[in-house]
Amino acid sequence: MSEINALREMRPAPSPAELEAMRMAARERFVAGTGSKRTRQRWRLPVLAGGLTAAAAATAATALVLTSGPGAVPGQHGTAGHTQTVVTAAWTVREDADGTVTIYLQQYANPAGLQRTLQADGINAIVRQIPSEPVTLGNQTVAWPTCNYTALTDAAPQAVQQAVWMHASAGQTLPVRFIIHPDAMPRGSALFLAFLAGMRRMPKNANTGVIALKPFVLKNDTVPACVPRAKKPLPTALPATKR
Amino acid sequence: MVIDTQASDADLIVRSLAEPDLFTAVFDRHSAEILRYVYARLGPELAEDVTAETFLAAFRCRGRYDGAWSDARPWLYGIAVRQIRRHRRVEARRLRLLWSALADGPAPDHSDRVAERVTAQRLGPRLAAAVAALPPQDRELLLLFAWAGLSYAEAATALGTTTSAVKARLHRIRVRMRQELGDSNPMNEENDDE
Repeated sequence: MSEINALREMRPAPSPAELEAMRMAARERFVAGTGSKRTRQRWRLPVLAGGLTAAAAATAATALVLTSGPGAVPGQHGTAGHTQTVVTAAWTVREDADGTVTIYLQQYANPAGLQRTLQADGINAIVRQIPSEPVTLGNQTVAWPTCNYTALTDAAPQAVQQAVWMHASAGQTLPVRFIIHPDAMPRGSALFLAFLAGMRRMPKNANTGVIALKPFVLKNDTVPACVPRAKKPLPTALPATKR
Repeated sequence: MVIDTQASDADLIVRSLAEPDLFTAVFDRHSAEILRYVYARLGPELAEDVTAETFLAAFRCRGRYDGAWSDARPWLYGIAVRQIRRHRRVEARRLRLLWSALADGPAPDHSDRVAERVTAQRLGPRLAAAVAALPPQDRELLLLFAWAGLSYAEAATALGTTTSAVKARLHRIRVRMRQELGDSNPMNEENDDE
């Protein structure tokens, strides 16, 4: 082995989450420094355009809190030039001047409202709640039953998946932060977020290997047939937080 | 604005002269790689700042970009290297820390069958010290090669020199490092790199 290979082994490297957090912070600084004002025409509701868009926007309007300055997200330092923030008790959606959209998820609640807010913000999003009760699929007991996303033929290419990042605390506990880069989404694709319909104790033999909350980019806005629907809906009427 | 994801870096950079927002696509395309390199050299405290400054400097001087370079990575690495130079003291301290960590680390796990890791672990302290002892410009070239994974030609572009000069310098650096590491070092294979 050469010293070059030995050096490669010694190279200090950040974790993926650390890398992405730093990259996003650097991106904010870069965009602020260039005075860039990116638009998101490319991903603005290519499928849900028209009346539905207007209806969604109108419905979501009751939860909208418009801001023009930094500091709208609790516990977050202000960043230069963010344009719009929607705050509810369950989640916060912040749109930045560089075109990125960040979701701060505090509670698993009001998925329909989150979907409407994202759609009103120009993101072709599908927010679906899925059952958390263990179910038997073949010979396996599966907790949080959902598709094996990585094998989905409905998924956009792997490179596109990087347009959406999830930052979670250790153990996938709340709050969770999603950062979306709408410009990186192909035309007609859809962001798919799965919510758990309540957290229950899982049996010991349950397979909990599936990350139900992983955000995924689908090739179109059709939810794959393998994604189950929850029988008991989550609460949908959480009040908006006035700020 | 519609960004063609298949567009070359050169195309994006040239077009960004008229549409500055397009340069953000260059950031999105290469920032993770540049950030990893900066992180390796300067650590987490400066990685974010230096990466942002690298791309801002690139944005400001994009008018001088050579459109013949379809891949902007070597150009961006060259800018990153110049930004890193401003923090030589930090890098020197980081190399000392790396040296200490490796020197104080656990003994090599001989059950580990990954030869590279075992060898790197055994060589680590001396290797880190040898890297720290290199003149800054030699260290830059070595780490562009080892940590950024640039080829001779790419490293030459990054450093604004010729491929033959890079090859000669790198050979000289490796000879020096082997001397620093002593005659008993096991790094006597020439089958890697490039």
